Amino acid sequence: MHIHKYEKYFLVFGVGTLVAFLIILGIGAFHQGSHPNSGKKTLDYEKVKEIAPFDNPGVHKVEGKDWDYEVVILASAFYYNPPEIEVPLGAKVKFIATSEDVIHGFEIAGTNINMMLEPGYVSEYVAEINQAGEFLIVCNEYCGTGHTLMHSMLKVVDPNES
Amino acid sequence: MANKKKSEDNLKGTFYAVMGVGIFVILVWVYCFNLFIDRF
Ligand SMILES: [Cu+2]
Repeated sequence: MHIHKYEKYFLVFGVGTLVAFLIILGIGAFHQGSHPNSGKKTLDYEKVKEIAPFDNPGVHKVEGKDWDYEVVILASAFYYNPPEIEVPLGAKVKFIATSEDVIHGFEIAGTNINMMLEPGYVSEYVAEINQAGEFLIVCNEYCGTGHTLMHSMLKVVDPNES
Repeated sequence: MANKKKSEDNLKGTFYAVMGVGIFVILVWVYCFNLFIDRF
């Protein structure tokens, strides 16, 4: 079989990029442990308000863990509890969220935090907050008539200021 | 049986066009990946 010289270059380039991106994906998945935010923990969403930690949503300082704060969020049509999140700049924060009714989204605009909140599943994400300011939190999964009004705010305050 | 002649076609333009698309795709990917790395 005769393959044109340039056709060989195309093939090398195509296969090469495929291999490169598979390696990057592999490093992310197996070395750095990237995975979907939900599915590892399940609970009974009808009783979610009685189940820890969702019996006490809000920002909690924790000791002796890999992160400094745990932010527990319970989403329901059409609001988030807590309605506002305030964390200090530089803190390592674990967001723990779920829904008590339908599927909601939890996207902190301008950041990598973007989770789907499914009833019965706990979504988690750990982030090191290294930028001060206010970040809008929006629901990006259509959840009903009040969907467009469903939002919250992440306030990152610099402890050395004010 | 004229494929002997066909395989000698000049594919230089095709080559540059495909590489151009490939580089564009990679640049856009690098930009997005950089955005992902920069954000928390
Ligand atoms: Cu929604």
